[in-house]
Amino acid sequence: MAEQVSGLLAACARRDREAFTLLYQATSAKLFGVALRILRREDWAEEVLQESYVSIWNHAHDYSAGLAAPMTWMTSIVRNRCLDWLRRPSREVSDPEGELAAAAEAGGPGPLDALAQSIDARALADCLGRLEGKQRQAIMLAFFQGLSHSELAAHLRQPLGTVKTWVRRGLGRLKACLEPAQ
Amino acid sequence: MNYRDKPALREHLAGEYVLGTLSGAARARFKGWMIADAALRRTVDEWQRRLAPMAAAIAPVTPPRRVWLAIAARIAAPSSSGPAHKGLWENLVFWRTTGLAASGVAAALLAAVVWVAPERPQPAPAPQIVRVPADVVPPSYVAVLADPMTRKPVLMVAAARKSDQLLVKRLDDSIMVADKSLELWALPAGQAPVSLGVVAPENKYLLKLTAVADQSLGEIPQLALSLEPKGGSPSGVPTGPVLYTGPCIKYW
Repeated sequence: MAEQVSGLLAACARRDREAFTLLYQATSAKLFGVALRILRREDWAEEVLQESYVSIWNHAHDYSAGLAAPMTWMTSIVRNRCLDWLRRPSREVSDPEGELAAAAEAGGPGPLDALAQSIDARALADCLGRLEGKQRQAIMLAFFQGLSHSELAAHLRQPLGTVKTWVRRGLGRLKACLEPAQ
Repeated sequence: MNYRDKPALREHLAGEYVLGTLSGAARARFKGWMIADAALRRTVDEWQRRLAPMAAAIAPVTPPRRVWLAIAARIAAPSSSGPAHKGLWENLVFWRTTGLAASGVAAALLAAVVWVAPERPQPAPAPQIVRVPADVVPPSYVAVLADPMTRKPVLMVAAARKSDQLLVKRLDDSIMVADKSLELWALPAGQAPVSLGVVAPENKYLLKLTAVADQSLGEIPQLALSLEPKGGSPSGVPTGPVLYTGPCIKYW
């Protein structure tokens, strides 16, 4: 999969539209899933997906296979756009209908189990599993639901400072677990 | 906040930026830092690599066909020979703040240098050593800012070494955006951008520097233009996308 996507990206850099069509067919369901999970609204997710693929087409020549796996690169583009969308000033003010909290409750079936199925993510799943429960919960909510520090605090009914500490310590431990030599 | 000599803070913020927990204001501020700080961008890249695999747990969902139709229509733009001029959002800051993308930006910056140099004839003639008379061009700082996508030069600035007057000449009038301002920034290596002022509507004018060019541009390898609210950035750091950049060169 990674090699195929890498090759398609290289062809996109040469302005090969057919390769771009194949790239979209191979990756769009995965990336739409990511956008939908974070944004929780289909119209927003469609918008972000469209912008992301136009960027991927225009900047395929910037992709360097040595730098990251192709799906990591594309996923980062989509997540980044989702987060920019969620954090835009006109939206961030409040969550009047409690829509965020409700959506976060419906977090879906055990992401850790799903992660453990993926070869790329197995080490990450293992390290996430070793975190304290609160740290793991905060990090996974943030990643999968796109919650900010203050949204996390509201959802978990904890002071902002406490939640920030969970996230910070959890990320630190995750890094140490993934790269124990350093 | 001084974040530069605090490696632990840089690490924390990069992780939180990638995870997505930073508030809108903190996220925008962090992006401003990333623009001028290659080491910080590398730290962000590392976090992208660490965390992005988590997305493997998300089930795929086939998007509706209209999404592909919209994408196909947009990339079928008339200029098929290269990336179309995308203007505002398809720009340097996008890549610098996404992470995991660097080579093309470096190439675009090099292209701006190449533009300044005279075209090299082929085959190269035998070198001629000519003594340049001292008074041809006064010792100056010169920068040409270009669109990193199209490599088209859009703005040139120059200042004599001992002068605090920066000559600004717009090379492309289409860069001006209604109800927005373009702000010119000095990008010192490893430090936060320093504003040089907002681009005036005049095609060619003098902008007053806070100190003579030797001081205000002497240690500046690069300049940039960012898109800001009318009147310039309210926070003292670039808040909008960086649209154009160029190397700042000492000529003497």
